[in-house]
Amino acid sequence: MAKIIGLPKLSPTMEEGTLVEWAKKEGDAIEVDDLLAEVETDKATMEFRSFDKGVLLKILAPAGETLAADTPVAIIGEAGEDISALLEQAKGGAKAPAAEPAKEAAPAKAEPAAAPAAASAAPSAAPAAAASESPAPDGRKMASPLVRRLAREEGVDLAEVGGSGPHGRIVKRDLEAFVAGGGSKQSPAAPVSGLSSGPGYERLPARVEKASQMRKTIARRLVESKQTVPHFYLTIDLDASPMIAAREQMNALLKDEKVSFNDLVIKATAVALRRLPEVNASWMDGEIHFHQVVDVSVAVAVADGLVTPVVRDADRKGVLAISREVKELAEKARTKKLKPEEMMNGTFSVSNLGMYGIEEFGAVINPPEGAILAVGALRDDVGVVNGQVAAVKRMKVTMSCDHRVVDGALGARWLAEFKKLLENPMGMLL
Amino acid sequence: MRELRYREAIREAMIEEMERDANVFLMGEEVGHYQGAYKVSEGLLTRFGEQRVIDTPIAEAGFAGVGIGAAMTGLRPIVEFMTWNFSFVAFDQIISSAAKVAQMSGGRVPCPIVFRGPNGAAKQVASQHSHSVDPFYTNIPGLWIAMPATPRDAKGLLKAAIRENNPVLFLEGETLYNVKGEVLDEDADEVIPFGKARIAREGDGCTIVAWGRPYYTAMEAAEILAKEHGLQCEIVDPRTLRPLDVDAMVDSVKKTNRCVVVHEHWPYGGPGAEIVDQIQRHAFDWLDAPIERVAALDVPMPYASNLETLVLPTVERVVEAVKKVAYL
Repeated sequence: MAKIIGLPKLSPTMEEGTLVEWAKKEGDAIEVDDLLAEVETDKATMEFRSFDKGVLLKILAPAGETLAADTPVAIIGEAGEDISALLEQAKGGAKAPAAEPAKEAAPAKAEPAAAPAAASAAPSAAPAAAASESPAPDGRKMASPLVRRLAREEGVDLAEVGGSGPHGRIVKRDLEAFVAGGGSKQSPAAPVSGLSSGPGYERLPARVEKASQMRKTIARRLVESKQTVPHFYLTIDLDASPMIAAREQMNALLKDEKVSFNDLVIKATAVALRRLPEVNASWMDGEIHFHQVVDVSVAVAVADGLVTPVVRDADRKGVLAISREVKELAEKARTKKLKPEEMMNGTFSVSNLGMYGIEEFGAVINPPEGAILAVGALRDDVGVVNGQVAAVKRMKVTMSCDHRVVDGALGARWLAEFKKLLENPMGMLL
Repeated sequence: MRELRYREAIREAMIEEMERDANVFLMGEEVGHYQGAYKVSEGLLTRFGEQRVIDTPIAEAGFAGVGIGAAMTGLRPIVEFMTWNFSFVAFDQIISSAAKVAQMSGGRVPCPIVFRGPNGAAKQVASQHSHSVDPFYTNIPGLWIAMPATPRDAKGLLKAAIRENNPVLFLEGETLYNVKGEVLDEDADEVIPFGKARIAREGDGCTIVAWGRPYYTAMEAAEILAKEHGLQCEIVDPRTLRPLDVDAMVDSVKKTNRCVVVHEHWPYGGPGAEIVDQIQRHAFDWLDAPIERVAALDVPMPYASNLETLVLPTVERVVEAVKKVAYL
């Protein structure tokens, strides 16, 4: 009996996946556990293996397509089987797990007198009738009462948890697995804003796209930051010429590789944090945690969002080591190979939009870090050098501080130290 | 501790209470000279004489009424129904008189009577004689209902029933009379209070509520689930259905997060449904799955032995129900 195969959920949070490559072609014999295709999920590229044995009769989705979980992607059955009905069904957009037509009729349950064979329901036949395994028809995410209570208490967003119960119901073990896997938590129930527009607000309806897991995480964390962290901003303007000169000297000593301005900024940040460790701190539920390590998170833009991999112990690393590490982390970020632990537990962030010509900007703190440094573009200016008017390069940086941890004067002292280091790069050697 | 059969435990309870209180007497069909249809009252006639062990005509409405009248005037009758199926003939006496007289007399006329006898299906006694009557009588306020599964519970609860001033329906099991179990020594005088469940087996995987014969079905299923799935079931035997120990069941479900109720009565209503209702209201936020019930199938009992087996709750059905709520 041929059946439709749906795109499996290959990670607990996967809502859609991209078929990178089919490992089998139509007509191939399939054994249980054979590799069918590679699927890129929100987390990584995963193997999609067969639970069935038979022949791959039809591929319904070509490589390269991005599809919601459970979307029909193939039909497996016996060679020569008539699959026209299944093709119709697949075209109709039926979700795959429901697509076992033979079972729907359930003749045993239709007998009026004999009530439910399992005697687990009331004698009225009605409740037993709709026993298919498809998700709730209204798309509602179902969770057991226990799970809803625990999620409320622990601040877990159930939208991010995959359900393994009937109809995708989230049950206790799913929540436990999610939390054990470092599942993200949020502060309970942020109020929903009233921004939704009434009908006819737009001349043309917007194109609506489901937010990716990464976007949802970004959204949640930034809302959390802006709603719970009292930000204030300090901007300082510094002479960038010494930094430029230092970089040129360094790159002249290197073969086949170069350090960037940002690598120098990270180094200066790390040294300044070591010299004023009060800034290297986090507000944690009524306590201030002063970090003993200087782990700098570096914002990296990727195709559909941004991630912040961490350069560990940046204060103890040379500029070249920092440079190599940032390149490697950025490459991993772009290919979605970053491991969660490579993005966790930074103590301070650096975000640089200088390459886009942004003169200055205020960044959103990445909680529980106590501050973030936003780096602007190098710009031409006129200054006084050795008593003479001359063309100079200047740069602005803006520090966003969590006022619970960093007060204005402390932030200002830190920025002054940072400025001193970049204007006298030799000072970083001391 | 000694081992006694269920019937011997009941007999001991009656003997001890008749020795203790001269107002206690036994009345019913074949309880005296025939020594009891199921030999529960064996030896009682010789021991206590015809004044206190009374053979009645085959007239349940009559002797139930006589018993109720005796209770109203100060005696403590034990009225034996040969089976609870025959109590239907005395339904009006039990419901309209026994259950109501205390309330209608403003509490001045209590009715301290015990009706007892075998309940539920036996073996191929067919549709008219296989009723589990607990859902019929538990619906009536004013009646206390016990349905013990083990010899020790049978003895301790029957002693409590005889001392109770409310009318008590004591539901035994024909297939339980030969079951052996540990019972405290004769001088222990153990009286088990009504409304107190017994945790028969501890576990954190799933609560199974079962009473009467299905208690043994549940215990067997629990062993299979432990062995084959490593799931430890907690078995709660409420022992009395009125009053009902809701707290014990709710506490257990708060621990296990899931529940299966196993009972021999039909699925429509009854204590099975009442227990599910109580648990879902009091433990809603602790439930990880809908509560399942394993009951007799919703048909009159077939005579054929193989069909009878299928209609009654089976170990396999209990295992399946537990697997379902545990998502196994």
